[in-house]
Amino acid sequence: MSWRNALRNSFGEQQRFMLLLIAPAVTLLVLFQAVPIFIGGSASFRDWMLTNPKKTWVGLAQYISVLTDPAFLEIVLPNTFLFMFASVTISLAFGMALALALNRPFRAQKVVQTILLLPLMVAPVIAAIMMRWMFNDQFGIVNVVLETLGGEPRAWLVDRWSAFAIIVLTDCWLWIPWFALLLLAGLQSLPKSPFEAAAIDGTTPWRVFRHLTVPMLRPVIIVCIVIRSIDAFRTFDIVWALTGGGPARQTELFSIYAYETAFVFLDFGKGSAAAITGGLIILVVGLLLYRILDHVRKVSL
Amino acid sequence: MSEIVLTKLNKHYGGMHHAVRNIDLTIGDKEFITLVGPSGCGKSTTLRMIAGLEEITSGEIRIGGTLVNHLPPRDRDVAMVFQNYALYQHMSVFDNLAFGLRNKKVPEAEIKKAIRNAADILGLGELMQRKPRQLSGGQQQRVALGRCIVRNPKVFLFDEPLSNLDAKLRIQMRVEIKRLRARVPTTSVFVTHDQVEAMTLGDRVVVMKDGYIQQCGTPLQVYGEPANKFVAGFIGSPSMNFFEVGIHAQDGELIAQTPFLRARVSERYKAALAAWNGRTVILGVRPEHLRVNASDVDPIGKVEIEVIEQLGSEILLETRAGDLSMTVARVNPQLPVAAGDVIQLSVPSDQLHFFDPETESAIR
Ligand SMILES: Nc1ncnc2c1ncn2[C@@H]1O[C@H](COP(=O)(O)OP(=O)(O)OP(=O)(O)O)[C@@H](O)[C@H]1O
Ligand SMILES: [Mg+2]
Repeated sequence: MSWRNALRNSFGEQQRFMLLLIAPAVTLLVLFQAVPIFIGGSASFRDWMLTNPKKTWVGLAQYISVLTDPAFLEIVLPNTFLFMFASVTISLAFGMALALALNRPFRAQKVVQTILLLPLMVAPVIAAIMMRWMFNDQFGIVNVVLETLGGEPRAWLVDRWSAFAIIVLTDCWLWIPWFALLLLAGLQSLPKSPFEAAAIDGTTPWRVFRHLTVPMLRPVIIVCIVIRSIDAFRTFDIVWALTGGGPARQTELFSIYAYETAFVFLDFGKGSAAAITGGLIILVVGLLLYRILDHVRKVSL
Repeated sequence: MSEIVLTKLNKHYGGMHHAVRNIDLTIGDKEFITLVGPSGCGKSTTLRMIAGLEEITSGEIRIGGTLVNHLPPRDRDVAMVFQNYALYQHMSVFDNLAFGLRNKKVPEAEIKKAIRNAADILGLGELMQRKPRQLSGGQQQRVALGRCIVRNPKVFLFDEPLSNLDAKLRIQMRVEIKRLRARVPTTSVFVTHDQVEAMTLGDRVVVMKDGYIQQCGTPLQVYGEPANKFVAGFIGSPSMNFFEVGIHAQDGELIAQTPFLRARVSERYKAALAAWNGRTVILGVRPEHLRVNASDVDPIGKVEIEVIEQLGSEILLETRAGDLSMTVARVNPQLPVAAGDVIQLSVPSDQLHFFDPETESAIR
């Protein structure tokens, strides 16, 4: 009875109602986010393998082992950042081009827009498997086309850089429509009259793009870049389905590395440490990115 | 030379909406034309067609003798001030002014000179490094004007540039535009729905309604000799009083009569109104032409005062005689009147206007 009274005394009617409303969400969040994070965090300080389930406390040893692992430093981190940069830049550029092309009335506009959205509705894993078959060295359509054109068929997914390029290609294919959609919405919400004024002022299309469209669209662009960068950093599914991190762990991104360490090599301690290290890195990178881009925006306003 | 000639200009939006109908208008070199009319009458559409922002359905537009129907805006050498100014929000005032010139690859030194000149005319001196957001409405307005001046175009187009300003600033900017005209005479088309702006700024005033030009003339012409009932009612404030009167001849005079009012038709209208003897016409009389209890002009009847609006400089009266209501303006503010008083109204007979009740065009 007394905690009830305490509750009643310390919160107003409206506040109690709000607490009631957020209670289910909070419960779920605690059960499925906070608890696993806590377990993972705790695991990262222990020596915990399937073959050695004693969970001895080892302090920062697992982190040191991750951070001194040449595979992590020389392959995984560069791969992850390169992937993030390439995927975001390319999809931003193509998404912008598409949005600009769609932002003028033409016949069949609706049809084209719908077709464009299709990749957004395809599950990444399915897209990746599709791509894997297209680039298959024996049955793939790409090699067939290449051969009829007189080219040399290649084992695309066996070479590090061609495999990496296919991963980036798949990711771009999936995400260009997303960029196009958001940028198109942004373009359509821009006021018309500055563009009309520019037309009367005799501005070339390139100067309109460079001096009006991009600066006016900057807030949308920034949000897109930040969201997509963070998301790209965590990419797992398409890499797993396309190359599984191979050939010989050459295309591993950070999340594949953490997953393999924990669930393939069954070193839960080190896997958790890798996951948490990655989480911290993306936290810092995301914040920095946002700061920098937002600063650019403020300066230009 | 930058004369603008519009010939049989039409604009359809979609299949149905006919926004501008058969406009014929010649705007002389360095003439300042105002386009005025109620909301939705096609003023902006006309202006935007001249600018090239709106496609022409049929007809011709010539600027300085060249047919510009299919020229894009940038090849027409016009400058436009938008209702919401349309400044480039992310650029400083200086860059806003310089943008059009940089498009034409004018050397920076010349740009500086042109901007300094425009800034002098408009008093923009200290604002150069500010962003438009940091300016007041009137200042933004001046930047928008400045952006047009620096380009030194053949034609200025204004789309209700003063309508976002408060009343006082509006009057101030009106004067400033007049001053600008004197310094930089340029062919101009000024769209407004405010008849005071139209009258004070225009060499000629074009009154539009439903996509048609109703009348085009000097301010004195549209005020003194309105072409039809619409123009008569639209120009002038408070607007003209209208009522139906019967015309009959008496002792060699023509008399316009209702059960409550009686006016003699002046020599000016006699010939034209002779044909209407025995029929009904619409009589119009401006509130400011009515006199209260005057002995030296023809009386037209007695009315009862319903509402008194004391403005300090004048009194506005809402009066009634039977089923006729009539506004009287410019009443001496010292005149002792009270609601319910009956007063005698009179009006010089050549300040009456007569309109055909069918076509509503003026009878003269
Ligand atoms: N893009 C458009 N599509 C369809 N109809 C339009 C379009 N633009 C204007 N109209 C219509 O054309 C008519 C004329 O419009 P316009 O903008 O020229 O009016 P306006 O005289 O400038 O009025 P206002 O004083 O309100 O600005 C209006 O009835 C309007 O509804
Ligand atoms: Mg308008």
